[in-house]
Amino acid sequence: MELFPRITKGNPVLVLSRLQLCDLNLDHVGEEQKRQIQQLYLTYNSFSLFPTSICLLSNLEHLDLSNNYLTAMPEDITRLANLKTLVAKNNHFDETSFPKHFGTMHIESLNLSGNRFREIPRQFLKLSRLLSLSLGGNRLKSIPAEIENLNRLEMLYLGGNMISSIPPELANLRCLRYLVLCDNCVQSIPPQLSRLHSLLSLSLHNNLLTFLPREILSLVHLQELSLRGNPLVVRFIKDMTYDPPSLLELAGRTIKSRNLPYLPSDLPANLCHYLDMASKCPNPKCAGVYFDSCVRHIKFVDFCGKFRLPLMHYLCSPECSSPCSSNPQSDTESEEESSVPADRLQRVLLG
Amino acid sequence: MEQTEVVKPETLDDLIKVLHKIFESDTINIEEVQNIVEAYESKPQEWMKFAKFDQYRYTRNLVDEGNGKFNLMILCWGEGHGSSIHDHTDSHCFMKLLQGQLKETLFEWPDRKSHGDMVQKSQRILLENQCAYINDSIGLHRVENVSHTECAASLHLYSPPFQYCQTFDQRTGHKNTVKMTFWSRFGEKTPFVTVSEKQFRSCGSC
Repeated sequence: MELFPRITKGNPVLVLSRLQLCDLNLDHVGEEQKRQIQQLYLTYNSFSLFPTSICLLSNLEHLDLSNNYLTAMPEDITRLANLKTLVAKNNHFDETSFPKHFGTMHIESLNLSGNRFREIPRQFLKLSRLLSLSLGGNRLKSIPAEIENLNRLEMLYLGGNMISSIPPELANLRCLRYLVLCDNCVQSIPPQLSRLHSLLSLSLHNNLLTFLPREILSLVHLQELSLRGNPLVVRFIKDMTYDPPSLLELAGRTIKSRNLPYLPSDLPANLCHYLDMASKCPNPKCAGVYFDSCVRHIKFVDFCGKFRLPLMHYLCSPECSSPCSSNPQSDTESEEESSVPADRLQRVLLG
Repeated sequence: MEQTEVVKPETLDDLIKVLHKIFESDTINIEEVQNIVEAYESKPQEWMKFAKFDQYRYTRNLVDEGNGKFNLMILCWGEGHGSSIHDHTDSHCFMKLLQGQLKETLFEWPDRKSHGDMVQKSQRILLENQCAYINDSIGLHRVENVSHTECAASLHLYSPPFQYCQTFDQRTGHKNTVKMTFWSRFGEKTPFVTVSEKQFRSCGSC
């Protein structure tokens, strides 16, 4: 996040920014000197072709080519075996720009925000050392399930794209601390995201969310959550869509809720399987079960005592609800077990 | 009202000196302060020691305590970082862009009776070196760095200084009082607070 490169002893930094450069000739730089350069800044120049002389700087660790006109990354980039940070914001890169073996590099921080990516290139998902990935302000429409391969990832910035859904595999990024999905078109959050136990900050503002899955309450380390600019449901909606249960479902419910005994020899295998699929109604006060037919019920939950978040869960029927929701005027219900204590969430930017 | 001659402050230190002089008086001329703050041309080398960024949220970094008459601080906004809608506890608030851009959205105070969305008055993008002004009689605002590629830094002057403000839920007008804290003072990072204090280290403001 620093605005300026730090120049410290034993860490040679070369800054060649804002010089209207179109190419970079390092012929005059001796081999010894080339080996000493560890950070190179070429920002705000006029490069449309990648200056391949960079690839001769064998000990280069930090390369910043932001604000140029680059369209392609050469094969030779993989020669930079020590490159840890690559920043190339505001260029013209897209998903075809990177060489096939880019994924073998040991890059830890990759920032390609402000480019033209329509999808995350496969090669990026092979960068096994990656800790931080930023593709903000591109044209991404989705996140591939293979994102889970970046198992050391701590920071994922995908704000300002056109992402409409989040793959549940994202939840497998166990080291993820900061997830930014603001300014997209996300309509729902997969409940599996509650498995992101390391998550400290979640940015979801300016999307198309109407509710959140109740599992979000189990993100115990979450300190920051931004939800502004989403069409979140404010008033409690009592009448939700309900498809009446089939005869099969009604029979199944009766068997399950009355504990009618049966053996595999009594029923065809498909019916035994069906009975095994019964889900218990999440309302703790209800002993009912449901199979396919359930009511989506949006519950408002006190979030650190300040805001009320609409959470989604399923009930076995419209009649099934906790006592306090019987008041149709109520939009302020909350359940003891669903309240999140204030110290668990420092800041919820809801409005 | 007498106006101090508007001499362009060349450095941040010059600006601070001029502000100290202006705020010796009990009343201030808002336009005069705004012009002087705007006249200072941001030089990052002069303020970068105060500009400590945090990955997850914007930070407030105290620069000068203005002899108790004002607080001068630098706010550092990472990509996508924004504030709540907030008020200014009856104080003057001047905000100058030192680097990058910030979006300011003005809101009407919510009606005691109304329970719907807060009314937005206007919106603008503040460019580098521009200086905005707000106080409670003008309204409430939200400040955001909407860039996904650049961070931003802004210089804020509050007079008189205040430690608490109110934040508002845009959907309902519901309000909350929060305590504001500093990420750093005079270029030194403030020590991390204990878990129980963390409850109040929230929401920040302009």
